Amino acid sequence: MERVGTGVTRRVAVTGMGVVTPIGQTVESYARALQEGRSGGGPITLFDPADLPTRIAAEVPWTGPILRDRKVTFALEAARQALEGRRPPGVGGLSLGIGLELFSMDDLAARARAGFVPPTTLAERLTFLQTPSDLCVHLISQRHDLRAPPLTHVSACAAGTDAIGSAFRLVASGRRDWVLAGGADSMINPLGVAGFARIGATTSANDAPQRASRPFDRRRDGFLLGEGAAFVLLEPLEGARARGAHVHAEIAGYGSSFDACGISEPHPEGRGAYQAMSRALAEARITPEEIDSVNAHGTSTPKNDPVETLALKRLLGPRAREVPVSATKSMIGHLISAAGAAEAVAAILGLQGGWVHPTINLEEPDPACDLDYVPGRFRAHRQRHVLSTSFAFGGQNAAIVLRSADA
Amino acid sequence: MTGAGHVLGVPCDAAPFLKVRKNRKFMGPQDELAVAAAGRALVSADRHQAPLGEGAGLYMAVGYLPFEQEHLDQLLQSSVDAAGSFAPERFAREAFTSLNPLLTFRCLSNMPAFHVSVNFDVQGPYLVSYPGAGQLYLALEEAVEALRARRVDVALVCGVAYQGNALVAHHFSRLGPAGSLAPLVDAAGCLVLERADSAGARARARLLELGSEYAPFHPFETRVEGEERATGAALPAGALGPASLPVFVSLGLGAELRHEVRTADGLHGWSAWGPA
Repeated sequence: MERVGTGVTRRVAVTGMGVVTPIGQTVESYARALQEGRSGGGPITLFDPADLPTRIAAEVPWTGPILRDRKVTFALEAARQALEGRRPPGVGGLSLGIGLELFSMDDLAARARAGFVPPTTLAERLTFLQTPSDLCVHLISQRHDLRAPPLTHVSACAAGTDAIGSAFRLVASGRRDWVLAGGADSMINPLGVAGFARIGATTSANDAPQRASRPFDRRRDGFLLGEGAAFVLLEPLEGARARGAHVHAEIAGYGSSFDACGISEPHPEGRGAYQAMSRALAEARITPEEIDSVNAHGTSTPKNDPVETLALKRLLGPRAREVPVSATKSMIGHLISAAGAAEAVAAILGLQGGWVHPTINLEEPDPACDLDYVPGRFRAHRQRHVLSTSFAFGGQNAAIVLRSADA
Repeated sequence: MTGAGHVLGVPCDAAPFLKVRKNRKFMGPQDELAVAAAGRALVSADRHQAPLGEGAGLYMAVGYLPFEQEHLDQLLQSSVDAAGSFAPERFAREAFTSLNPLLTFRCLSNMPAFHVSVNFDVQGPYLVSYPGAGQLYLALEEAVEALRARRVDVALVCGVAYQGNALVAHHFSRLGPAGSLAPLVDAAGCLVLERADSAGARARARLLELGSEYAPFHPFETRVEGEERATGAALPAGALGPASLPVFVSLGLGAELRHEVRTADGLHGWSAWGPA
């Protein structure tokens, strides 16, 4: 029996969304790409991967001006989309899942060369060699005059979901008037790609980048690294309705947990994943029977997918095989600290539109992964509650329950 | 508050608190600092005998990404061409194979939280934040809220900063002229919070006041000056990053304490603590 907290006193609405992803840089184009089952995979073009074991990724096809640290550009654009023309009354805040500080190999080499002259302006100095990730926080807060203390989340692959979940709590408990919540990340750089490849986490299906991310498939061999940003605008439901704001969905509950187990492998029975999901349902005051679909973490790694399946079976019980489970990472790759936010937006789009997006590249199901993962094509599916999950290296697990605005 | 613990300086020995010794190879100095401080805090709270389990939450702020000079040198030496420019072919062929894969884990900001969770069996909710003392204040607010809402029975509030390394030194050096900033200190602190009704006679201090505020600023145009003030006990010398509050409270445990910090990331946090 999960404990039900007493801190949630207001219902929380999603009244704005913004995305920059490998398959769509607006909410509308993202929705179309999700329905079409489009892959963002391709050869790495942002740097020369030479003979690294992983030479593919899901890059954002960004054509506009870009700051040196790509995630900052993505974050600013996604935040703009979510907030522009939708600003609620009161003092706004930010809850942001952010990735590792960008580390530049070119700068490291430049610094060691004879005659090197350090950069002079504050902007150049702050982005030389290593760009602190909290730049994102201050640039967004300054641009949109967000005056409530901003929360940062560095829980790795769970950070995007944690950012939305904790923002939900801030609004639900009355501690913030409204919060812009999401995640931003880009690790498609030499150290990012090499670091993940060195520990065997990424796919090496270099000859078939669009088919490389294949969650729950027998032939999966690691995740496809992606990049991007996504935000949702959260405010009290009552206030949103009173001011006539369009309500996309509600955030109904949030749960998090530690596996307290392995550093890179989940608890063998999915204990932590189950705890996080159960806690989210308890906070939403719903039973597992009321979950209509799941947006899975679904990394396409050998270790994650079967354990996530086990945890979902335990949570959903006899209905487990009847509940559609979609893996957005099959299309956009793994956005790391932005993953949970981009996947929450995908889930909300499906909730609004009455569909679940497909898990693409699922052609030969792993016998240990025997749920309905919506293989191949999107499906019409009316839903009231969707569960969206993220599980991180280091055993941090997060889940949120999304509720239809019509419920 | 039922307990507090801290560590100042590295190397520090987390060995007495390691329940999962095979994970030692994954631990960098920041991880050791976090585990040692949490272990000392749990001993102080008399909560070290039994695993903490589902009723315990962890609320942690970590400092900027640490990276040692020797690893930077190794990376550089195996990644450049004869002219000293980054050479992708060499990087893929030599740097990739020569770098210890464990470095990847040591670079992840959530690893101190992992090591605390696994050694003390923390299975409850968490917040892992970054990079300064202001974010530690926000983590403390979340911990207090989780206790009030009865989502947890025990909350560990930890701040950890391993700053005596090349990358963190690089970061701070660019914020101001050489010598203008307080010396960076490697530190970790941890506070054990419980509700008064369950703490009973184990209560060591009470949180009397807690607040935070923020002024947005443009980081490319404005440099925010940091400032830390305290009464009731001496502030440790130097800049402790997110460890500053828990180390101060641990040092002054039992006294009337007031702490206030304005950080370079625009946050202002303050708290007051009294005897139980």
